[in-house]
Amino acid sequence: MKKVLSLVLALALCFSLVACGGTGDNGTDEKFLVGAIYINGQNDTAGYTYAHHTGITKAMEQLGMDKSQLKIVDNVAEDDAAVTQAIDTLASQGCKLIIGISFGYINAMNDAAAKPQYKDIIFSHATGYLANDTNFNNYFGRIYQARYLAGIAAGMKSLALGNNNIGYVAAYGTEYAETCSGINGFALGVQSVNPNAKVYVSKINNWADEAKERQIAENLIDNYGCGVIAQHCDSAQPQIAAQEKNVFGCGYNSDMTAQASKAHLTAPIWNWDVYYKLAIETAMKTPKEFMTKVGVYYGGLKEGFVDVSPLTDNCVEGTKEVVAAVKDMMVKGEWDVFTNVKLSIDAEGKITKTEGAMLDNKGNEIISADGNTYYVYKDGAISAVEGGKDAQDGVIKGSMNYYVAGVEEING
Amino acid sequence: MRNNTKEPLIRIVKREGLKKRYIALLYAASVVIALGVGAILLFSLEANPGEYYKQMFTFGTINNRFAYLQYENYIKEFVPLLITSLALSLAFKMKFWNIGGEGQFLLGALAGATVAFMVPASTNQFVTIILMTLAGAVVGGLIGLLTSVLNVKFGTDETLFTLMLNYIALYIMMFFGETKAKWNIFLKTDSERPQFAKIPETGRMFKIQIGDFSLEISLIFTLLLVAFIFIYLTRTKHGYEISVVGDSINTARYSGMKVNKIICRTMFLSAALIGAAGALRVSSVESLSTSITNDVGWTGIIVAWLAKLNPIGIVIVTALITILQCGCVTASVSANNVDSHFADLLQGIILFIILAADFFIRFKIVIRKRNKSEKNTSEKEETV
Repeated sequence: MKKVLSLVLALALCFSLVACGGTGDNGTDEKFLVGAIYINGQNDTAGYTYAHHTGITKAMEQLGMDKSQLKIVDNVAEDDAAVTQAIDTLASQGCKLIIGISFGYINAMNDAAAKPQYKDIIFSHATGYLANDTNFNNYFGRIYQARYLAGIAAGMKSLALGNNNIGYVAAYGTEYAETCSGINGFALGVQSVNPNAKVYVSKINNWADEAKERQIAENLIDNYGCGVIAQHCDSAQPQIAAQEKNVFGCGYNSDMTAQASKAHLTAPIWNWDVYYKLAIETAMKTPKEFMTKVGVYYGGLKEGFVDVSPLTDNCVEGTKEVVAAVKDMMVKGEWDVFTNVKLSIDAEGKITKTEGAMLDNKGNEIISADGNTYYVYKDGAISAVEGGKDAQDGVIKGSMNYYVAGVEEING
Repeated sequence: MRNNTKEPLIRIVKREGLKKRYIALLYAASVVIALGVGAILLFSLEANPGEYYKQMFTFGTINNRFAYLQYENYIKEFVPLLITSLALSLAFKMKFWNIGGEGQFLLGALAGATVAFMVPASTNQFVTIILMTLAGAVVGGLIGLLTSVLNVKFGTDETLFTLMLNYIALYIMMFFGETKAKWNIFLKTDSERPQFAKIPETGRMFKIQIGDFSLEISLIFTLLLVAFIFIYLTRTKHGYEISVVGDSINTARYSGMKVNKIICRTMFLSAALIGAAGALRVSSVESLSTSITNDVGWTGIIVAWLAKLNPIGIVIVTALITILQCGCVTASVSANNVDSHFADLLQGIILFIILAADFFIRFKIVIRKRNKSEKNTSEKEETV
């Protein structure tokens, strides 16, 4: 019987052996093909992969490209073998720009970019920290800027409510600079309007877990008396929990007003299409200059890469003006969150700047009073980070591991 | 007088004496039906089935300047699945249900990686790979031995036991992958987030360069292993003992065989081979991962049974299933709207229909006649 089975499917084998002879070249195709490797499904309707997929397709639409010019391998685990196979498949299809959206793709993408046969393919990796000089970059955004603005809205609400307790449902805490800088950005925004506010951080220890996201939000409201719930997690569960308990909240990733219209204030959001348009256009028209034109990308409010969703009517009157004013300062580059300059915003919306060192919640200096030295914890001790502006960005992106004063981590 | 023991409504009866030509036709028909069902689904997703199947069966190697990479990836998937299926067939032949392939593979991989990280960087590549394989084999084998010893001494259920060990192995792997600490040699040191590091160069698979294509030596090793297992099962006393134990433990006992020893020895060999496959896989993909098995522990079961536990059959079925797996990824990329879930679904449909055909080739379903008379029923059986 097995002979028979083999006979039947031997056709398949023949096909593939015949294929050996093929010498055609997809690379000379007139059409520019974009390849994308997703952690979840391309047909998702919410979440991380959905946000990237929407960004890529929107950017391609703006560039007048056809849907068929995007090749996708989806549901690729963070496994070097799986990612390498996905890259090989996309390269085989003739893709000239290969986008990987998940952090764990880093090794495989780094290796692929170094392969001589892939030297004319550009690799672009979200949230990573590796790059080379010719065909491999990474990209991420200054989401902490948007979080600062959301913090202002939350802080003003806490003043109006007369409740200084604010909750923050976080995927992780100080383990990841991404979550850590987000929490700190938000807390500093809160404190700019309400210096007495306290931000309680409760961790999920997972990037997405809807049940736990809700449970933690409920705990923050019930047991810590929080009046505003912010979040760094995938679903809108914390916002829905806030609405059910008649408190308020700031979502994340997308405008969560639709899910919790009575509770939602505003959400820090990503406009991935801003980066993808730049990356695809550059890779298509001037691939040789990709690393000089796009390079390691860390866009913020200025580029429109991050933003806050439209402020809802749940916000306190006057929030819009204050948020707009602070946003303007960051867009113009006059001021940024992680510096030695602190903003204080009074009840009339007047903004005052004060210079001074930034302290963490253990009382240690994390940015010096002159604003030139940044510190992180290394093996339990505080240590200075060498280098200029790039190193400071490096702290925010990759090594920040403390909470600013006024933040307290609790056990969910 | 009416017979009190009523014939059951539906009976499954072994089918005998089917012509080989007819069997071939049935298998062919099942593949055609499976592809037909897939084609309907593809139409509903506005994808072109012809183009999709072309991409699937060639795994995108037509008009592809990187075709050699596709072949390399093919071999990377083929080798671990083949070794695992062979190893599982050893235990299955004895009717010992080792469904712990996943766990044995994972721990074998972990053992292999440990060797790769521990040996001095100056160690010869061949020596390192052999040491890794041995480490994987020993760790895998010991798990197999534990399972079989508990089974023969205390009568523990090997199916449950090996199944549970899969999860223990997976969580051990996750523990090493997510625990950032000084002692954890498996992680990258330059990453803030915990992440598996690449294994040192000396532990990476040795390759023979043929033009652009590089052939991993594990393939040669694996094919030698097929020959070895074939001879072991058909031409040695051990092989004979395995098949007798599989047929009837009591017969084996009666004829003076040391059944417990045979079970433990065979299970050790089975799990050791899977552990070795795990170590070779680490060497081939150059880093650990919680999904390093690529489900070979499960797929291997299907392969072993589709091949009727015959080593040569296993080579053929593994080759075809790997084409299906590699091809499905490529095909889903080439077609818009088709995601990898659909590719998995189609794979499942094809396997399901072939297995169903396999069932109907081996058995027939007999339904009891409604107005059964006192006559002998055996002549009135209706076959479906």
